Amino acid sequence: MKKVYFASILAGTVMMMSAPANAIDSTGCGLGSMAWRGQSGIGPQVLAATTNGSFGTQTFGITFGTSGCDPNGRITGGTGRMTLAFLENNLEQYAMDAAAGHGETIDTLAGILNMDSKRLGEISKQNFAYLFANENADALDVTLKLFTVVQA
Amino acid sequence: MRTIVKVIFFLVIVLGFASGAKANEFAFSDKWLAIGHYQPKFFGGYESTIDSPNFFLSADGKKNPQAELEATVNLFLSDDDTKKCLFPARYKLLKKNGLTIQSFPKCEELEKFYEDLRPNGVTFLFTDAYMNNPSSLFGHTLLRIDTARKGTQLLAHGANYGAFTEGKENSALFAILGLTGGYFGGFTVKPYYDIINTYNNIENRDIWEFNLDFAPEELDFFVAHLWEVGHAQSRYYFFTRNCSYMLMETLDAVRPSLKLAKKFPVQTIPLDTMKAVHQSKGLIKNVRYRPSRQRKILYRVSEMGKPELVAYYKAIEDKDYDMPDLSDAKKANVIETAYQFVQYQYVAHNLELADYRKQSFQALMARNKLKESSQIPELKDGKSPLESHDAMRATVGFGVKNGEAFQEISYRPAYHSLTDDNYGLLKGAEINFLNTTLRHYDNDDKYVLERFDLLGIRSVSPIDRMFTPISFQILSGVKRTLNPQTLEEGYVADLVVGGGATYALSDNVWMFFMANTKAAYGGFLPRNQYEALGGNGGIFMDFEKWRVLAEIEKYYASSKIGSYQEYKVEASYTLNRNNALAFNYKYQKNYGKDIEETMFSWRKFF
Repeated sequence: MKKVYFASILAGTVMMMSAPANAIDSTGCGLGSMAWRGQSGIGPQVLAATTNGSFGTQTFGITFGTSGCDPNGRITGGTGRMTLAFLENNLEQYAMDAAAGHGETIDTLAGILNMDSKRLGEISKQNFAYLFANENADALDVTLKLFTVVQA
Repeated sequence: MRTIVKVIFFLVIVLGFASGAKANEFAFSDKWLAIGHYQPKFFGGYESTIDSPNFFLSADGKKNPQAELEATVNLFLSDDDTKKCLFPARYKLLKKNGLTIQSFPKCEELEKFYEDLRPNGVTFLFTDAYMNNPSSLFGHTLLRIDTARKGTQLLAHGANYGAFTEGKENSALFAILGLTGGYFGGFTVKPYYDIINTYNNIENRDIWEFNLDFAPEELDFFVAHLWEVGHAQSRYYFFTRNCSYMLMETLDAVRPSLKLAKKFPVQTIPLDTMKAVHQSKGLIKNVRYRPSRQRKILYRVSEMGKPELVAYYKAIEDKDYDMPDLSDAKKANVIETAYQFVQYQYVAHNLELADYRKQSFQALMARNKLKESSQIPELKDGKSPLESHDAMRATVGFGVKNGEAFQEISYRPAYHSLTDDNYGLLKGAEINFLNTTLRHYDNDDKYVLERFDLLGIRSVSPIDRMFTPISFQILSGVKRTLNPQTLEEGYVADLVVGGGATYALSDNVWMFFMANTKAAYGGFLPRNQYEALGGNGGIFMDFEKWRVLAEIEKYYASSKIGSYQEYKVEASYTLNRNNALAFNYKYQKNYGKDIEETMFSWRKFF
């Protein structure tokens, strides 16, 4: 129950985040997030990565430019929002660090989650197949699963 | 009661001004001039670099530091809290110097800014040159506000000063507007992980981090001032008032004794600003190097033994991650490197998204199975750009042209030729800008402008099993040219554009070929112009202390004067960081009138 509650809050946060993102011009933060959501043309492979109509999140791939961050271009919000924003921008780096069990993104996430970096590395490695079930893993999905495994 | 205090204080200040005492002096102090970004004008007086009117409280604040100070003192006596919240650094400065006794209002947005940033230090960032974008040829600089957040500095923020170009980067208009102040520039703030992604991972540029030794009070003042200039804009000039220049003024505002902006009265080259910051006494605490993705891949591949290399190429070329003969630690190294190469290929548009994901996951699954970690230490040291030669170059030489002795001097404001020592710079990347050469010929005792190179960009970058860069050149200038038919000399302006490939015969010896088109214009040419097709190719050798460039060039032109064949050798020997000796030899065949030229010269960088 607790997890469902958390997931819905997180999903709500994402929806709120994607709303102001539409209003940002190309000079500031949000360029990437719009591109990945298919509202600006970076290329067909980017369009292919978007989820139809719903609030899109970063699917597995490299973010070109900024993505999913605060309209002011800053790291902000609570643990959930920060984790999601971080993973939206660093998913492919975290994937390798999680597979290996250590790395800079693990050290960073451990800081955000206020936990021991070594432990997060072990958890990420052990649960890698769950966190990244297949090549269509997206940042929101990984974030939700990550919270599940670190709270278990 | 409060009003009375205000009135009294106002009177004190006004009287202070009237008697021309402390405040008057303060208006022209380094501190006040630096915080307002005022620079002395050539014919006396001051003018602020900042252009947006909202940065000034006085109507003539842009040109009048004293009126601006009076208006600022008055602001903090007023009730206009919204406006006060835009000038936290000015408040701190006035307060410290006894020019206000008021308290600073509660500013929600400003507090949020501090709360998000959690400032813990300031780092000056330098990124390498990027040959694929003309506006990044000279490298880039930005500032990082280090964070006290738990985790890593990935959660810090970078403050970038740049032109707001409204997405018109690819038009010719962009270049013109960028050079002439047609755009406004301003600060934007981004998470540092975003900056790393852009420079390290997408553009494959190394990042150098210079931690600045700021006292807590200076750090606080820096963030407050960043908030002030973050709300303002200035006209952006690509060569002078650019990304790097504004950082100099911003650092000056924090520590006026630095006087960094004064060191860049004309051109501001990012690399030079980094050197200036480094040379400022007591400003740099320590230096850290963040290699680009490509650099990391090359390093890890260079550390691999034969069996690992075989496994690595099997992984990236045949997508075969089965490597039974390797230890887990070696497998880990091979797989992690292969994974980074897959990422590189996707960014370089060499992989479709579906293939990219498939290959990424293949590597991830293989890596996840291993118990041990790669034993290769992280790449922590690079060739520091601080050790590179300075950007300006003067050359003095003497030589012989077809039996006639000559003396030559030349001056190049920026930046690097292939035969200059490339320590700390991108090897194979040449950027010559406004190179001017004068000659004196002994026989007829005449002084001539030998050549003027408006712009010369060359990128020779070797193709190997992993990377397939295109080599290219864009050369434009005016040269003194001989018409072989009339034996008349005159000036020809030309533009050469070409592309080709480079192969490394070894680490030190590269071979390159380029196909070129050329357009030339000159008053003394038949029909005033000609077009030509041709190519050049040769060998570029680099053995640290000395470098040799040997080339053959041939053109077929619409006019005989432009059809020639030329053999060239240019060699240079490094004496020390800013001094080199050079030798040039040229043999040109042009319709029976051959030109042979030999020259020795001394190159001084400064």
